[in-house]
Amino acid sequence: MPERVDRDGTPAYRFLGVEVTRRETVFLVLGVVFLFVIPDIAGLSDSLQLSVIHQGLLFGFAAVGLNLLLRHTKLTSFGHAAFFGTGAYATAVLARYAGIQSVGLLLLGAIAAATVMAAIIGVLSLRHTGLYFALLTLAFGQLLYAIALGQSALGGSDGLPIRPGPANQPLLFGTAFSPDVYQVLTYYLTVVVILIGLFVMYRITQSPFRNALDAIGQERTRARFIGLPIRRYVWAAFVISGIYGGVAGGLYAVVRQYVRPEGTLFFLRSGDILFMAILGGFRTLVGPLIGGVVLIFLQDVGQDITQYYEFLTGVVLLILVYGFPRGIVGSLRSGGIVNARLSDLRREPSVLSTWGRSAVQSIERKVTEALTSLRIILFGVD
Amino acid sequence: MLEARNLRKSFGELVATDDITLEFGKEAGELVFIVGPNGAGKTTFINLLTGFLSPDEGSIVLDGDDITGMSANGRVDAGIARSFQVVKVFEEMTVRENLRTVVLTEQGKTWSLFSMADGHEEVETKVEELVEKFRLEDTADTVAEELPHGDRKLLDVAMSFGLDPDYLLLDEPTSGVSTREKEYVIETIVEVGRAEGVTTVTIEHDMDIVTEYADRVVALHQGAVHGVGPPTMLETDDELRRLLLGVGDDE
Repeated sequence: MPERVDRDGTPAYRFLGVEVTRRETVFLVLGVVFLFVIPDIAGLSDSLQLSVIHQGLLFGFAAVGLNLLLRHTKLTSFGHAAFFGTGAYATAVLARYAGIQSVGLLLLGAIAAATVMAAIIGVLSLRHTGLYFALLTLAFGQLLYAIALGQSALGGSDGLPIRPGPANQPLLFGTAFSPDVYQVLTYYLTVVVILIGLFVMYRITQSPFRNALDAIGQERTRARFIGLPIRRYVWAAFVISGIYGGVAGGLYAVVRQYVRPEGTLFFLRSGDILFMAILGGFRTLVGPLIGGVVLIFLQDVGQDITQYYEFLTGVVLLILVYGFPRGIVGSLRSGGIVNARLSDLRREPSVLSTWGRSAVQSIERKVTEALTSLRIILFGVD
Repeated sequence: MLEARNLRKSFGELVATDDITLEFGKEAGELVFIVGPNGAGKTTFINLLTGFLSPDEGSIVLDGDDITGMSANGRVDAGIARSFQVVKVFEEMTVRENLRTVVLTEQGKTWSLFSMADGHEEVETKVEELVEKFRLEDTADTVAEELPHGDRKLLDVAMSFGLDPDYLLLDEPTSGVSTREKEYVIETIVEVGRAEGVTTVTIEHDMDIVTEYADRVVALHQGAVHGVGPPTMLETDDELRRLLLGVGDDE
C-alpha cells in the first residue's frame, strides 16, 4: 500500500519506491489512461494514425534510454540508432534464419544483441569525451548502416521481412491474429514495455548509481578523486541506454514486420532520437517519450502538407532552442515562469498592482534612456 | 606512512620535481605544510602523490607497498584523498547531495541501481556528521554553485574528509578566501584532522598560518627540497625567507 510521506510541505505518496504528489498522480493516471485509449481515439481523425503514434512511442523509448547518458553523464551520443537498428535487425535475422516465431523470444534476442553491441561500441568510444565521443558514436552507427546495406544476408537496401512460420507473422501468446488485431495487441505490448521501462529508469535515477553518473557529468576530475572508476560507470550507463534502444528496435521490427537500413540505422535516425530527448525535455523522465511522439507526428503530418517537411522540424528546433530550452515537459513543469506567476497571483492578488507599477517604472526608465540618447545625438552633450 | 622516493618529473625542459625524497605520517595525524615560491613544484608534487600525474622516475610507497602505478581512484580507496587549488565540487548538487555522493562512493554503494540514494542509514548519519563538523547546516540544501566562496572551500574539504582518508593532501585550501574566513577554514581542517588522526599535507602561502599550525614544514625550491624542519625554520633560515618573501635582511 502507498505510504504517506512529506515532500517540501506537500503531501506525497510513496509506492514501490516511486514518490508522487497528488498533482503528479493525476497526471500519471491521465497519461496511462491516454496511452491505453489511443487505439480508440486514433480512428476519429485521419491525421491521427495508430501506427504513427506507435512509432513515435518506440523511438521515444529509445530516447528515454539515450537520456540516461545525456542528462547525467552529459555525454551526447550521436549514434543511438545503432542500438535501435541492432535490436530491429536481430529480430529480423532470428525470425528469418532461425525461424523463431514467439514475440517474447524475438525481443529477448533483440535485447541480447543490443547489449553486446552497446558493450563493444561503449568500450571503443568511451575512450574519449565531448566532441570525439559524439563523432565516434556517429562513426560506429554509420559502420553498422554500411554493413546492413552491403550484406545480402541482411537484405541490403531492401531490408528484411519479419514473417516467420506458416502464419507469416510473429506469434503473441503462441497465437496468430488478424492484421488489425495484431496491430492493436502489439501496441498494448509496447505500452506495457514502456511503463515497465519508465519505472525501471525512474528507480535508476533515484539510486546511488545516478549520484555517481551525476558526479562524473558535473566534475569529472573530482569524481575520479573521490574514488570513482569513471569509465566503468559511464560504460554501464552506455550499455543500459543501448538496451532501451534495442528493446525499442525489437518492438519496431515486430510491429512493422519489416526492417530497412534507412528506417532504423541511418544516422538521421540517431539525430531524431537525440532531438526527441531535447524536444521533450531531457531534464525529465517522460520528456523524451513525448518528444518522440510529437516529432514523428510532425514528420508524418509535415509530409502530407509539404514536400519540404524537414523544414518544419528545423523551425520547431529553432523555436525550441530560443524559446523553450527546457523542452515540452520541462516547460510545463511547476517552477516554470508561467506557473510561478500564476501561483503568485492566486496567493496574493495584490501582486497585480506591483507588476503594474514595475511595468510603468520600466517603461518610464526606457523612455528616459531614449530621451537621453536622443539628446546626446542631437546636441552632443549628456 | 606515505613516502616519496627520488621522485622526478619534468615537462619538456622544465624540471618540476627534482629528486624529491620525503615521508609523511610517521606519526599518524601530523600536520605538514608545504611552502615555497611560485613555480617551486608544490602542486606537481601533490599531483604525483595522488596519481594525477605519473613520475618519470622514482616511486611512491604507501605502508611499504609500491603504489607508483596505481590509478587515481585506486589510491583514494587506499586512503589518499586530495583537494584542488580551484574548488572542484559537483556544482548542480546541493551541499548535502555532494557529501552523500562522496560517502556513497566511499562505502562502495554506487553500484546499487535500485536502492534509494537517500535511503542508506549509515550514509545519511555520516553525511549529517560532516555537515555538522564543517558547520554547513545553514547551507546544507543550497546548490553548490550558489554558495559563498568560503563555504565552497569548506564543502570541498568536507568532501575530502568524507572519504575517511588516512592521508589528506590539500592544495591551498585558503586561496581566495577572505582573511577573516581563512582562519575559520584552516581551524576546521586542523580540528577535524586532529580528531580523526588524519595526516594532512597542505600547500599554504600564508606564513602566519604555517607558523601557527604546522607540526613540520617542507620547503620546496625549483622542484627540489630546500629544507624540512619545525615551523621556526621560517624565522631562522634566512635564505628561505628570501625565497618566500623576496626580501633578505640586507634590504
